Amino acid sequence: MTTLLVMKQIIMTLYSKYEVYITPCLKFVLALVSLLFINSRIGYMESIDKLTIVLIVALMCSFMPLNFVIVVSALFTVLHLYSFSLESAAVVGAGFLLMFLLYLRFSPKDTIVVVLLPVCFLLRIPYVIPLAMGLIGTPASALSVACGVIAYYMVHYVAQNASAIAAMADEETGAKFRFIIDGILRNREMVVVIAAFATTVIIAYLIRRLSIDYAWTIAMVAGAIVDIMVLLVGDLMFDINIGLFGVIFGNIVAFLFALVLQFFVFNVDYSRTEKVQFEDDEYYYYVKAVPKVAVSRPEKKVKQINSQRAKTVQKTRNTH
Amino acid sequence: MTKMASYEANEGRKNVAIGSYFRSDYIGWQVLKSIISASIAFIVAFGMYIFYDFEVFMTDIYKMDLLGFARYILEQYLWVVGLYAVISYIVYTMRYSRAVKSLRLYQMNLRRLAEMYRQ
Repeated sequence: MTTLLVMKQIIMTLYSKYEVYITPCLKFVLALVSLLFINSRIGYMESIDKLTIVLIVALMCSFMPLNFVIVVSALFTVLHLYSFSLESAAVVGAGFLLMFLLYLRFSPKDTIVVVLLPVCFLLRIPYVIPLAMGLIGTPASALSVACGVIAYYMVHYVAQNASAIAAMADEETGAKFRFIIDGILRNREMVVVIAAFATTVIIAYLIRRLSIDYAWTIAMVAGAIVDIMVLLVGDLMFDINIGLFGVIFGNIVAFLFALVLQFFVFNVDYSRTEKVQFEDDEYYYYVKAVPKVAVSRPEKKVKQINSQRAKTVQKTRNTH
Repeated sequence: MTKMASYEANEGRKNVAIGSYFRSDYIGWQVLKSIISASIAFIVAFGMYIFYDFEVFMTDIYKMDLLGFARYILEQYLWVVGLYAVISYIVYTMRYSRAVKSLRLYQMNLRRLAEMYRQ
């Protein structure tokens, strides 16, 4: 444990020392991963489905605010869909526009979830995000998570039904339009996933804020269980074929990730909890103080042994 | 002192920008921007609604009570924009008071630091 704590200390020191370089690098990686995923899933426009273009755009994102990654990802998605069919680009573009105008313009700190969640969906670990946001976010994070789920399912629906949309004749613009809108709005799986993730965020947030011992651990377990329960109940109610094994395994991965998050963000020692009571002129204070677990970074002392040099000097003195 | 410098460089910069406005000016300006955003969003959603069943809409347009339809759309618009403006008002009121409180704390700490230097 001490080794892990020392490692944490080293990582934190390194980050604070090289933050100027690390932050753009992380933004670059995020943009690169999200754009590569978009290209692999719906790479219809050949001109932007190139590694050089992706690298240039990702490099540009690394020097821009974090929300720029969302704009670029949305733009890439709409351009690819435009190459495939104008109708799907219009519907998905309108969806993104509504999200930007109504929610993302408030620019809360967790808007990046809208990009991270679809990436996690493709990595088959989407359950990590709601649990993590419940631990480090606010109840408003449920809205960000919902936006991320909608963004993923919009693109997923078009990609999944690409052959059906392509088979429709060009004159059937209205029918294509209806097919895409109906498919997105009547997607029961999307509704169930939004309900499950939003509930997870709120439950995890409410429990981790409680003044009880091991609040974070309880919040993680409760969040994961609620997630599984809501998804399974939704599956039974709407018959949407959510894999039981995938849900449970995904939530175990989410729990493990949450443990890592807890180690970095909220590592406290409940065995040394102190309850103190004091007063001033206006108030009585009942304070519960839980100490953070911290170790000081061991300092390496380099002892210089210059015996050879010392001996040489002594020898020279003796000869003189 | 490090924390104060970090505050000044990150969160503080935003709060200073908010704090430079009068409360009513800041909230009014933000709500106005929200109304414009909601209006654009409503136009986009209305466009999608029309395109969804464009052929039926075009055949029915000669039979329908256009004035009644316009009144219905206007009512919907006012509901959407009104609700969004109220939510924005609440959000930005909270943001303003939080920023002012945080700035007050920062100034208090600055004063304390100045006193320490004088001693």
